[in-house]
Amino acid sequence: MPSCLHDDKGNAVVKLNNLTIDAEQEKIVNSLTETILPKTDTPGAAELGINLFVFKMIDDCAGKEQQADFITGLNKFADEAKQKMGKPFVDGTDKQRVAFVSSVEKLGKDKNYKDDGKLMAFYQMVKGQTVFGYTTSKYFMTKQVVYELVPGRYNAMYPASKATV
Amino acid sequence: MANLNIDSVKERTFDAIIIGSGISGGWAAKEFTGKGLKTLVLERGRDVKHLKDYPTTNLYPWEFPHHGVVPDAIQKANPVVNRCYAFGEDAMHFFVKDAEHPYVQEKPFDWIRGYQTGGKSLLWARQTQRWSNFDFEGPARDGFAVDWPIRYEDIAPWYSYVEKFAGISGNRDGLAELPDGEFLPPFPLNAVETYFSNHLKKNYKNRHVISARCAHLSKPNQIHLDQGRGQCQERTLCQRGCPFGGYFSSNSSTIPWALKTGLCTLRPHSVVESIIYDDKKGKATGVRVIDANTKEAIEYYAPVIFVNAAALNSNLILLNSKSQRFPNGLGNDSGTLGKYIAFHNYSAHMNAEYDGAKEWTTDGRNPAGGGYIPRFRNVYKQETNFLRGYAAGLYAYRGHKQSSDGIGQELKDNLARKELGGWSVGSHMMGETIPKESNFVTLDNSLKDPWGIPQLRISVDYDDNDEKMKKDYIEQMTEMFTSAGFTNIQTFTDHRAPGLDIHEMGGVRMGKDPKTSMLDKWHRLHSCPNVYVTDGASMTSTSCQNPSLTYMAFTARAVDHAVSELKKGNV
Repeated sequence: MPSCLHDDKGNAVVKLNNLTIDAEQEKIVNSLTETILPKTDTPGAAELGINLFVFKMIDDCAGKEQQADFITGLNKFADEAKQKMGKPFVDGTDKQRVAFVSSVEKLGKDKNYKDDGKLMAFYQMVKGQTVFGYTTSKYFMTKQVVYELVPGRYNAMYPASKATV
Repeated sequence: MANLNIDSVKERTFDAIIIGSGISGGWAAKEFTGKGLKTLVLERGRDVKHLKDYPTTNLYPWEFPHHGVVPDAIQKANPVVNRCYAFGEDAMHFFVKDAEHPYVQEKPFDWIRGYQTGGKSLLWARQTQRWSNFDFEGPARDGFAVDWPIRYEDIAPWYSYVEKFAGISGNRDGLAELPDGEFLPPFPLNAVETYFSNHLKKNYKNRHVISARCAHLSKPNQIHLDQGRGQCQERTLCQRGCPFGGYFSSNSSTIPWALKTGLCTLRPHSVVESIIYDDKKGKATGVRVIDANTKEAIEYYAPVIFVNAAALNSNLILLNSKSQRFPNGLGNDSGTLGKYIAFHNYSAHMNAEYDGAKEWTTDGRNPAGGGYIPRFRNVYKQETNFLRGYAAGLYAYRGHKQSSDGIGQELKDNLARKELGGWSVGSHMMGETIPKESNFVTLDNSLKDPWGIPQLRISVDYDDNDEKMKKDYIEQMTEMFTSAGFTNIQTFTDHRAPGLDIHEMGGVRMGKDPKTSMLDKWHRLHSCPNVYVTDGASMTSTSCQNPSLTYMAFTARAVDHAVSELKKGNV
């Protein structure tokens, strides 16, 4: 049975069509997206609803095989985190979570890494969709790198010195 | 047939019937109504009205449920149309889904279709180049297909005629192989496109990069404002339908123009089953339509019929129009109907980088897409081990040094970096293919579509000429890129099926001889001259220009002829 996602009060807010996620798994992904994209002096993943977007994209736009890898990799991620941090990922301090996710990020650059447990497949799906959701969010496209729906111009020869977006 | 009483027949009788409302059908509608004829336009899909029926046109990326990505279930259910570059979450409602209109692929063929008012004119890439006599004389010079029954001089005034109304932006480049037209101001080349253009001028004979000519109102004239269209706003979201009417489509231009006359009846949901041929009268008298919703059969009558159903569907209709006189399809005395299908070879592209022109970038977006390299191979004489040649797209762009490295604040900073990166350069080939008898469509003997019409069997493939041409494109472009100082040159060839170019042509080819062709120089069926075919089906050869502008000119010219024949009482 596909699951529902919950808000911070535990209310079901998004119904999934394909993925079956338990409350623990949901919290891990939420926490991971917030670790990748934390609230700083600018909004983070939770505030922008990126965690929900990640689930929606994996649920609707990933294939069955990727979805299976997502679940397998999520469990592997949870196990590894617990082992490295000595406690569940979601119970770690910010510092512990950042350290663990940074190590995963670094591992992703290692060409010899064998992703037998699908940890990296899971991580890269979450990171990829977090980045995609963020860079196509209203916040990012109006406050960070402004997207113009109606440019009304094409300057083919534009001085690089004047280029500010 | 219900209601065969006289009044009903009268209500279903027009001066002209046009099958299809796409880029050529829309022109037929405008021309017939402009000349005072009561005209019926049959559209197999739903009605899509300009502005009103563009539901996604003003949406920001974040307003789409998946920010533009097509959900997996839709992708998996539509392997064919999903391969089309424009099939995104913002425009997928304008494409025919695979299951909606089945066909048989004897060989892989990606048949991309748009069933609605305006057809694929809503979705096209809007590139518009004239043919020259190097193209019209090609088959005769190089000994393939049959000689075109027309030359550039026949069609040049009609190019001018349609260009003025549609609105084509471009430069007067003065090239014999790509005649100039009636142009609105061009979208200029950027710094690196200009650099490459100059490089070719200096180092090669007859190789040029010009501003891509396209059907965008860079600066509208009164005739465009009269259509209710305005200046292109450089959104480059054209596939959603343009709220400004900035690019030419039947929806924004010819269809509303025709409807405004009060002489045009547009009937959506009308799948044409066949053209009715009266064996006694010795001519076509009308068309038989299946209502797409009710499945009811209805007949409409007119002294002249234009077939503009898009290339392969025009073939299908003629193949399915059988009579005592024409047991193998309407006008098919030659046996060539459905044969000599050709297309454009888009199966190679390349990327590179350029470490120069650092003082320049661009601002805004270019709806023309960049530069265009007209065909330079075998133009004046045969000079390679393959026939004909290719045009190429050429575009340069400069982005920011964005990256998705890291996590946390570092990631946020990397994603928002505004520092300019280097220039990237891209190109893709657009090759002419040679029409052959072995590339054909037929009707399936048993399989029917949802309207009870035989399914089309498509048997079209590449050949050795295409492979050699592809190799030459890669060699020549690599050499030109290298000598221009471009680096990190990457070449890509793909195994895309024919059809994905969306430039399928032929099957009802023009020619001088009724024994070897279907249409005469006015686009009339040789043996049933009150039926005209003026869309891609009529193409004797394909050249390598984007074909839509030529269909528009063909159509306006053919309507002019049809109306003069009607007036003379010859039809």
